[in-house]
Amino acid sequence: MKGRCGVDKIAVTGIGVVAPSGIGRRQFWANIKSGRSFIKKITRFDASRYPSHIAGQIDDLEKYSHVSERLLKKIDAFSHMALIASEMSLQDAGIEIAQEDPNQVGIFLGNAIGGWLYAETELRDLYIEGREGVSPYMASAWFPAAPQGQISIYYGIKGFSKTVVADRASSLMAIGYAAKTLNKNRLNMILAGGMEAPVTPYALLCCNTYGGLSKDNAHPESAYRPFDKKRSGMVIGEGAGIVVMEPVARAKARSANISAYISGYGTSCDGVNRINPASDGKELSRAINLALTDAKISKDEIDYISLDGAAIDIWDNSEAAAIKNVFGTRSKDIPISCPKSMFGNLLGASGAMDLIVTIQAMEHNLVPPTVNLDEPSPNGLNYVTKEAKPSEIKKALIISRGRGGINSVLVVEKA
Amino acid sequence: MDTKTKIKEVLVKLLRVKPEELKDDVTLESGIGVDSTEMVETVIALEKTFNTKLSPKEITKASTINDIEKIVNSKIGG
Repeated sequence: MKGRCGVDKIAVTGIGVVAPSGIGRRQFWANIKSGRSFIKKITRFDASRYPSHIAGQIDDLEKYSHVSERLLKKIDAFSHMALIASEMSLQDAGIEIAQEDPNQVGIFLGNAIGGWLYAETELRDLYIEGREGVSPYMASAWFPAAPQGQISIYYGIKGFSKTVVADRASSLMAIGYAAKTLNKNRLNMILAGGMEAPVTPYALLCCNTYGGLSKDNAHPESAYRPFDKKRSGMVIGEGAGIVVMEPVARAKARSANISAYISGYGTSCDGVNRINPASDGKELSRAINLALTDAKISKDEIDYISLDGAAIDIWDNSEAAAIKNVFGTRSKDIPISCPKSMFGNLLGASGAMDLIVTIQAMEHNLVPPTVNLDEPSPNGLNYVTKEAKPSEIKKALIISRGRGGINSVLVVEKA
Repeated sequence: MDTKTKIKEVLVKLLRVKPEELKDDVTLESGIGVDSTEMVETVIALEKTFNTKLSPKEITKASTINDIEKIVNSKIGG
């Protein structure tokens, strides 16, 4: 499908999701649209002495796993989740990788922190047992690009691939680059998305010392309150979201079920602080405008915005400022929401999850809710709060941001 | 327990393969598809099990279980 300036839109033809709110797109969407929170006290290890010890966790991964025990002992949980999400997305897309030219298939993933459950266990063994106590798989299990490698080995994928590490913006950025790569006719299809497994003792500690997590441990389900006056920080979650992306012509030629189109991407840097974003949101505004220009659409056509929603004053306020700056008087009308308050912020995988939520929202003509949003702050925006709201979404923006002022924005269009 | 049975026990436990997949006269690579990292693990595990020093040059992907048995026995005097 050619846009007005000849830029191809990219079709999303398969969705794979492994999330605290559900494994598989149907279960996941059923829980999202119902507004159910899956934030709970961490049970995997004794986290009670951490300032924030709540998270969105996945407890029944094994039930959905097709990965052999032999492979499982060599990989971290984040690779395991990525393998399951990849398999689900390929099945959803009706694609047999064995029938594809392996040189023309790519993998574009985002991750922020790497595979720490594996790493910290082996580091413990290093200090207790010495060098021989460390698994030789440590070297290939912990690093952020490990899932990309494991997926390529599992399916025999040989095409141009990459892993993006850009804090919480990682996976949306990976999806944006995947679209651009397909636009250059460099590949036939890409598995794109992200994965994150931060519910481990060391990773949770690092997330805690960053200072951005909610300490409302007494009320896990209502702790993550993006854009609420009583916000107290984000709550982490674990999971993976991977989609199959391919050129529209190819998707149509094989009669694929197209879930949505990705039509634009924009990114910018604030360049002001090693952690916080710029308070004025100007660079985020620029990233939004770049994405709209890339998509060759007018800002007046956007009818839903999926928010980053860090639930920290400077982040929420600057995000709202950017929306007001771009959309002017229309910002009070465009439905906006932050569904990740139900299942946690999946850090490097958060943008991929937002894309999967948005696509399903488009399919069901239903804007997903922002649970826990009781008293909007800042005001002046059309927040969809407690319950999902029926509304047709034809063109949506997804905003994803990372520490140090990384802004990334994707434009998604209804199929 | 004889040396060969112990070797097989190590491989089953370490590589999570089924006992019936292990054939005495087939190389580890062609029989159960070991990779180089699994070989590192295997040599270390055999050293611990038999309390002897083994070299990754002696036991390789091209070794059969019969080969490994001979090498181990020559070290431990079995």
